[in-house]
Amino acid sequence: MSVWNYVVTAQKPTNVTHSCVGNFTSPQELNLIIAKCTRIEIHLLTPHGLQPMLDVPIYGRIATLELFRPHGEPQDFLFIATERYKFCVLQWDAETSELITRAMGDVSDRIGRPTDNGQIGLIDPDCRLIGLHLYDGLFKVIPFDNKGQLKEAFNIRLEELQVLDIKFLYGCLKPTIVVLYQDNKDARHAKTYEIALKDKDFVEGPLSHTNLDNGAGILIPVPMPLGGVIIIGEETIVYCSVSAFKAIPIRPSITRAYGRVDADGSRYLLGDNAGLLHLLVITHERERVTGLKIEHLGETSVASTISYLDNAVVYIGSSYGDSQLIKLNLQPDAKGSYIEVLEKYVNLGPIVDFCVVDLERQGQGQVVTCSGAYKDGSLRIVRNGIGINEQASVELQGIKGLWSLRSSTNDPYDTFLVVSFINETRVLAMNMDDELEESEIEGFCAEAQTLFCQNAIHDQLVQVTANSVRLVSSTTRELLHEWNAPSGYSVNVATANVSQVLLATGGGHLVYLEIGNGKLAEVKHVQLDYEISCLDINPSGENPNYSTLAAVGMWTDISVRIFSLPSLELLAKENLGGEIIPRSVLLCTFEGVSYLLCTLGDGHLLNFLLNLSTGELSNRKKVSLGTQPIMLRTFSSKDTTHVFAASDRPTVIYSSNKKLLYSNVNLKEVSHMCPFNSAAFPDSLAIAKEGELSIGTIDDIQKLHIRTIPLGEHARRICHQEQSRTFAICSLKNCQTSNEETEMHFVRLLDDQTFEFISTYPLDTYEYGCSIISCSFSDDNNAYYCVGTAYVLPEENEPSKGRILVFVVEDGKLQLIAEKETKGAVYSLNAFNGKLLAAINQKIQLYKWMLREDGSRELQAECGHHGHILALYVQTRGDFIVVGDLMKSISLLLYKHEEGAIEELARDYNANWMSAVEILDDDVFLGAENNYNLFTVRKNSDAATDEERGRLEVVGEYHLGEFVNRFRHGSLVMRLPDSEAGHIPTVIFGTINGVIGVVASLPHDQYVFLEKLQANLVKVIKGVGGLSHEQWRSFNNEKKTVDARNFLDGDLIESFLDLSRSRMDEIASSMAVPLEELCKRVEELTRLH
Amino acid sequence: MGSLLGDWPSYDPHNFSQLRPADPSAQPSKLTPATYHPTHNRTLPPPNQVISTEARNILLRHFYQKSEEKLPPKRAASDHPTSEHNCKQPRAAYADGAH
Repeated sequence: MSVWNYVVTAQKPTNVTHSCVGNFTSPQELNLIIAKCTRIEIHLLTPHGLQPMLDVPIYGRIATLELFRPHGEPQDFLFIATERYKFCVLQWDAETSELITRAMGDVSDRIGRPTDNGQIGLIDPDCRLIGLHLYDGLFKVIPFDNKGQLKEAFNIRLEELQVLDIKFLYGCLKPTIVVLYQDNKDARHAKTYEIALKDKDFVEGPLSHTNLDNGAGILIPVPMPLGGVIIIGEETIVYCSVSAFKAIPIRPSITRAYGRVDADGSRYLLGDNAGLLHLLVITHERERVTGLKIEHLGETSVASTISYLDNAVVYIGSSYGDSQLIKLNLQPDAKGSYIEVLEKYVNLGPIVDFCVVDLERQGQGQVVTCSGAYKDGSLRIVRNGIGINEQASVELQGIKGLWSLRSSTNDPYDTFLVVSFINETRVLAMNMDDELEESEIEGFCAEAQTLFCQNAIHDQLVQVTANSVRLVSSTTRELLHEWNAPSGYSVNVATANVSQVLLATGGGHLVYLEIGNGKLAEVKHVQLDYEISCLDINPSGENPNYSTLAAVGMWTDISVRIFSLPSLELLAKENLGGEIIPRSVLLCTFEGVSYLLCTLGDGHLLNFLLNLSTGELSNRKKVSLGTQPIMLRTFSSKDTTHVFAASDRPTVIYSSNKKLLYSNVNLKEVSHMCPFNSAAFPDSLAIAKEGELSIGTIDDIQKLHIRTIPLGEHARRICHQEQSRTFAICSLKNCQTSNEETEMHFVRLLDDQTFEFISTYPLDTYEYGCSIISCSFSDDNNAYYCVGTAYVLPEENEPSKGRILVFVVEDGKLQLIAEKETKGAVYSLNAFNGKLLAAINQKIQLYKWMLREDGSRELQAECGHHGHILALYVQTRGDFIVVGDLMKSISLLLYKHEEGAIEELARDYNANWMSAVEILDDDVFLGAENNYNLFTVRKNSDAATDEERGRLEVVGEYHLGEFVNRFRHGSLVMRLPDSEAGHIPTVIFGTINGVIGVVASLPHDQYVFLEKLQANLVKVIKGVGGLSHEQWRSFNNEKKTVDARNFLDGDLIESFLDLSRSRMDEIASSMAVPLEELCKRVEELTRLH
Repeated sequence: MGSLLGDWPSYDPHNFSQLRPADPSAQPSKLTPATYHPTHNRTLPPPNQVISTEARNILLRHFYQKSEEKLPPKRAASDHPTSEHNCKQPRAAYADGAH
């Protein structure tokens, strides 16, 4: 039963909705603060660019973000208002690097009609009050007292009901707002009001301007000494103040964002809906405005927010494309653009549709999204884990070890690749033609398995075999010295660095050698109680050539011990518990923090903090990486050290913000790995896997990889066809002819490897592609693309005509095989019992695939079901059909084969406006609706009465805070059948803000456990700005607000791993669970996404 | 147009001085700052800074204001026959009256 669900974010929101610049973190530091719907990010301006400081989750959808400077304060405060009528004022405490709440509150009214044009929040430039326009006909005032403290808020009646924008004017004795509004004849005007704080009322203000541009939408108040306001229309820009009125015509465009450049307000950047950036200049003489000028600068992503930063660098925040950092140049480039893009920041939003595919056929899903809008439309390939891009491979069975060697200490590149087998050692070397060929190092023993080898000081090489340690000159390649194992003993395990060798022979003998010039010296020898299973002397202290610590893993007592070098004194011992022996240990340092990593034979990894001077181990943590023994190796990528854990589920261990992270490597099984950096294969890894040795480069080390395929048009639907190895998309392109804008709609075919358009089918004028699937029909094995369309005519409220088009892919071309006219928009298509199920306006319609006498095929209507407002989203399972309606929530239909009919079984009687539905299992269905909530409903087939059976029972409710456009079954991670997480069914969702999330259906006991953890976490992790987690996650629409149930906030639960050790301990003890166990269970969850 | 485009504001000349433009064909970057999870007690504001809207309905407030506006002038007329401006400076007003 999929009633207990865990919701977690795999990709955080990327849509930038607001931005502002000010001195937030210190009076001297300039910060860019950006809002991504439910998060804010604080950046610092530096010589090297934007430096990210903090990502702050907000328990609300941000409606207003403003920096302001209260009187007498040395730095700015941040005002945030949320869509659910909460606000807070935040201050940065530089001493503790914490965000402090200066004030917060609830600004909701019991009565009031929420504004249609969004919420407006603004702060008086002289810091006398905060103004909010949240409900039609009301303006809310939160006054500041003379000490900068906020006082009780009050409402003022605002006569204008259709408000488009409100701003404070500068330089007014009394706080004065300018209101841009539309009257009931659709004419637009601007007027001003002074706010009389004492009387709590408006007084008519100094300015008023009637019958503005019909597209007037944005007000820009101009600072003193000029004062006044600029009104941005679609065809004109107007400046007006008490003393001046200026207007200029502009090329028709819809301005979406502006940013002030100069503190005196003489220049502004304007961004329009085509992504064009203009500079608006107020010309003035002796504080008198003489005119307006506008200059085209160039093209950016379509801006939702513009912030001038410093030294001609501007931040462009975008909802429809990647956000950008741009530089304004003095001279135009060859294309006439004054804009130079310095950096792009990925934005997946709006995700309108996506599909989950396994392109590399590795059993791991990738998400391909339809992202962005208008000219910034793109496909994004989102993949979890780290890819290896194979450059070369050779078949080699039975590899037991792998090392790379340089031919001299100073050589930047590796020359040799030493491959060890059970009875021999082979040496591969790069030849003059940069090819890898079999070679020889004369001083090495080739007839035995190499246990370890290593470049050593003085241009020497070290090879350890069962019988001896050989020191070889790397220039002459001749044996210089040999240390032989005592007779009767053989070396079992060995390790070395450039100046030290540590090895263990049978009987628990631990031998320590130091490497001299042409000489190996046995320095110390101890006998331990048990056999030694693994060891390491990787230098993690200050001296990169010499380690003062040795890590040793033991059989029998299952422990790991730290010894000092050269004395081999025991410094610390940690019993690992259980019966599984340690198989690999590694001393390493990430971001200045030293760790001991230790892997067990069953695929677990333990990590400890290591005190380099005392050898003490602390903060033990355990994670499960795979099921087979793991071999650990360090490697470098982009000057940072990472650890490769080779096993049945290869993983890269790396550190980010001083926290260890684990990222899957997209390979099935790796037995050994070593870094191999040669001229022909720079920065590569040599990898031994399944009878093969391969060399490849590694992706950037991060968890989620996003690849962008720019389309230059807006993709709205996508689907993949395995048989033809293609994607098909429905897309639309905006075409600008001389003075008219037209839309063209297409069905396009893309190669699933190159993502190039290989075939296009243009749709008719006014015809939109609404749905697309790949399917086959009964008694016809061909794979078809079926496309549902609608004719969207300007004079019709709802489309009354559409088509279903059936294509086959032949020679890489879309061939139209059949088409069927419909009486409305085909919002959804599903393959259903070898037939085609379509949702057409109010109706669900089933089509058969019929063979005509001439051998051609056609779609023939079989049966249908009426009774929806608009059937927008349809999912099927067996004979069951789940419909998500525009207004009428979810209903469940059944197809009856014998009667050839579709009947309604049950419905949810709530009036939810749906945005996506999915079937979780036979009985439970998941829905997303337009107030950003998720809910689950359950079929009541065992109920006693017909009435109850006809009702879908709401079993789970949750406020996601995101508008979900699509659910799809699937997983972003490789699912191992024998891991615990492998059995948890997951659904992926994509949202307008570019969030990719996962809904995981948990077993009941796990749900109960995590619910308890969540309850404990809420007490420890506070909401920023004093906002409440419980209120944030409560299901909320116009009709009701109820506490979340049967959904857990995975983002909160997984933030457990970010807590300090003491906080973790606190929570573990209050839950009466060992901390190691708790960490492991949460770590498991992070591997769901 | 050089005059319009030049002279961009500079708050700290060092900012962005060492930033080189990225390869235009490069994939967009992902900035990943650390996520903030406050555990301190100052996420709650001082008690007097938990703001709510005054309870009195806007219409009722309007009525009361109207009635207050009507009443005081009567009293003011009997107590202080001078204007409201003078009320704020009673001593001066009396002093004036004494002349």
